[in-house]
Amino acid sequence: MSFEPSTNSNSSSDKSDRKLPDRSKGDDLQISRTDMNMLIMNYLVTEGFKEAALKFQQEAGLQEPALCSSLDERIMIREAVQNGRIPDAIAMVNALHPELLDNDRYLYFHLQQLQLLELIRGGRAEEALSFASAALAEAGAADRTALTELERSLALLAFPDPHASPFADLLLPSHSQKIASELNAAILKMENQEYTNPKLCSLLRMILWSQNELDKHNIKYPKMTDLANATIEQPKL
Amino acid sequence: MQQLTVFMDIESSRSYMDELYSHDGARVVEALVTLKNTVIGSNRQKGSVIQQGIVPRLLQLMADETLDPNIRLEATITVGSLAKGTAENVAALVEQGTATVLVELLKTVPVESKLAEAVLCALRSVFLHPPAPVAALPADMRLLTRLTQIAREASPTARACVVRILSIWCGSPLEQEALCASGACAAVAAMLHNGRGSPPPARALPALDLLAAMCFENASVSQVAMNTRHNDRAIPELLTYLVSRDKPLPVAMGAARCLTYIHRADALTADDSRVVFGALPCLARLCTKEMPEEIRATAAETLAYLAEVDTSLQRLAAISNHLMSSLADIVNCNSAAAKQGAFKCFASLGANDEDIRKRIIETHGLMVHIVNGMNNPEPAVRLAAVRCLHSLSRSVQQLRTTFQDHAVWRPLMQLLSDSPETELLTVGSSTLCNLLLEFSPAKEPMLDQGAVEMLCNLTKRPEAALRLNGIWALMNMAFQAEQKVKQRILSCLGTEQMFRLLSDADTRVIMKTLGLLRNLLSTRQHIDAIMSEYSSQVMQAVIVVLEGSYPAEVKEQALCILGNLGDGEKAKDLIMANEDVLRKLVDYLAHPESKLQEAALFVAGNLVWRGEAGAAARQARLASLGVLRALQLLRARRDPHLHDKVKTALAQFNEFT
Repeated sequence: MSFEPSTNSNSSSDKSDRKLPDRSKGDDLQISRTDMNMLIMNYLVTEGFKEAALKFQQEAGLQEPALCSSLDERIMIREAVQNGRIPDAIAMVNALHPELLDNDRYLYFHLQQLQLLELIRGGRAEEALSFASAALAEAGAADRTALTELERSLALLAFPDPHASPFADLLLPSHSQKIASELNAAILKMENQEYTNPKLCSLLRMILWSQNELDKHNIKYPKMTDLANATIEQPKL
Repeated sequence: MQQLTVFMDIESSRSYMDELYSHDGARVVEALVTLKNTVIGSNRQKGSVIQQGIVPRLLQLMADETLDPNIRLEATITVGSLAKGTAENVAALVEQGTATVLVELLKTVPVESKLAEAVLCALRSVFLHPPAPVAALPADMRLLTRLTQIAREASPTARACVVRILSIWCGSPLEQEALCASGACAAVAAMLHNGRGSPPPARALPALDLLAAMCFENASVSQVAMNTRHNDRAIPELLTYLVSRDKPLPVAMGAARCLTYIHRADALTADDSRVVFGALPCLARLCTKEMPEEIRATAAETLAYLAEVDTSLQRLAAISNHLMSSLADIVNCNSAAAKQGAFKCFASLGANDEDIRKRIIETHGLMVHIVNGMNNPEPAVRLAAVRCLHSLSRSVQQLRTTFQDHAVWRPLMQLLSDSPETELLTVGSSTLCNLLLEFSPAKEPMLDQGAVEMLCNLTKRPEAALRLNGIWALMNMAFQAEQKVKQRILSCLGTEQMFRLLSDADTRVIMKTLGLLRNLLSTRQHIDAIMSEYSSQVMQAVIVVLEGSYPAEVKEQALCILGNLGDGEKAKDLIMANEDVLRKLVDYLAHPESKLQEAALFVAGNLVWRGEAGAAARQARLASLGVLRALQLLRARRDPHLHDKVKTALAQFNEFT
């Protein structure tokens, strides 16, 4: 990933427009390596990738990262969520912040939903149904969004091969990753951390938003068309 | 199945419940952790646990100092989770003494322990459910000092919890003073301070709520808050910093409310920059369309309180940040809180200034909304709408135009005859007083709707404010009214009630009752017509007042009634026939209080007026009683104020001078 500014060759702008900043050109903005490293470190620490953070610190020759107190716990909780050990994860969250899952019932529902999905993945349909009626029905009755999500999850049971169903996305690792990040952010917020999301995420959102605004007003500018590779396309003249 | 245990229904797993009573500490801890993980996140499980009667055991485990700290901690955390259930769950907990046990624990547990934090979390959750068990927390100085120490020194969670508890607990001057004495202001200042940055909302919000609760209508506490500093910054400075645009909206709102309360408690003047450039613009900004509805509602209501009495703040607010348009837009919001806030704010803005009132009505077509507001199913909205109407009804011009166009008296009369709450009745009847002023065209239709009967009933209320409004409105109604209206008032009120009002504990009620009599006895025909029926009662009323120990302004009113009577043809004779009254008249002509002299002079002048039948006889009688001499003495004093009137009266006596 690099924010290498594109070398710009198109300097054929109109003279009368001179005083305005030239939107068709990329800025000569150099992002310092230190800033880049800090952004990456911030991402690793907030998302709870401790080993990667320590490795990165060594390789980039940075100072010891300011790891928050709960980093170890957060890593264990993330692992538990992503490996489908949901009761373990819940017990750990309750030990770390007993009020968290009582305050955020929707998040609690999401964890229980993961537990349900684990049962479905394991082909334990009857257990899945009894678990859904014993534990998840309460949240479904209280919250319409939760109900829809619960219905989607249970619909998986209707297919001989859930992985080939229209709701297969729920069984993908990306789904449990999403919930794990949600939980991670909630823990950080509980600890009054300033940023619960990595700054890198906010920056990407900011780029998407700004480009969208610029497009709305039909303004020509160097557009980042591929976020993963940071490809910047020059406007057609 | 192993991994399912956490989600097991309580009923199907009695075994670990039994372990709660085990003698093996490790097994108890294990059972508590399982129980905790079961109840967290599920109201159904909480309800089930409470129903099975486990709470007393949990309270016991919590309070037993001989037990393993872990047992006590896990038990407390479990109780804390139960307190995050439904209102019924919390009510059941309180009933079983949870709040009291928690407060007792606070007296002994080490301030910075995990247990203290869990206890505070649990107590905070209990307190957040109205009605909070405030009685469980006594105003005991040692305990309060301990709590404010926690608010200054403990973990962020413990600090936020203790301050939240106190902010709910603080509801009367007693608690305000106790908290202030135990150092709560310093704790608040510490929580609002955060080096160069701003404090996180989770810390600032409870602190701002506590400060507001402490300063509300309390001059001495507000003064202490003014002078409390943390790291060289006083509370007003910390608040002014928090009202700025870059702060989270609820924080800015809370800070502006604190400044408002401190101002209204007279610790900050209305022209103080922290009010004028801090609280006021912030509140006006929070009323704008871009803000979330609940923030707008609170901001409008707070602004109403800020500008309620001070005219300069009203004028300033009226031109701040398009406030009028913002408020007109808030009135359209759906929530009762928003409508109420906007009406109250309009009421405050228009309280004193005729121009603002005009702008409120003309630019935003508010009257339709007020009329709708008076029909709102929510009592608080109806009350706020009537408050707004009351404020606008101070405008003579509006009474004649907009009020008439929208027939506002109709919903108002409807509200008042629907046996409303005392507060609504008070504001509503004050509005009625204004609507009934002589020039108000609403008078006629209101009479048809039974206004007289309603007002007469008001004069019988135990609340002095309502009696006053009732008799005041009757007085306004009688002013230059037709004779049939006057007759109706007299027969409906009844002379007995009139005498009761003349001995009212509230002087203002007596004044208005005499004022009513004066208005009833105004033109010559009316005087004679009314006196033909009520002469003895009226004379008795006047004598009662003249002989009783009333303040001068009350006696003045009574003399004015006599003066009015002196203008009636037959009524004159009534006075002349009453020697007591005539002797009183002589006394008052020589009274040291000049306004009483003037009133007495007015009576004498009417009685001796030449060119009316029997004038000579009256003059002779009055001269023999000493009136003439009293007048001559007055003339000798050459009081510039009375001189002309004395001369005119004496001129009538020319046969005797």
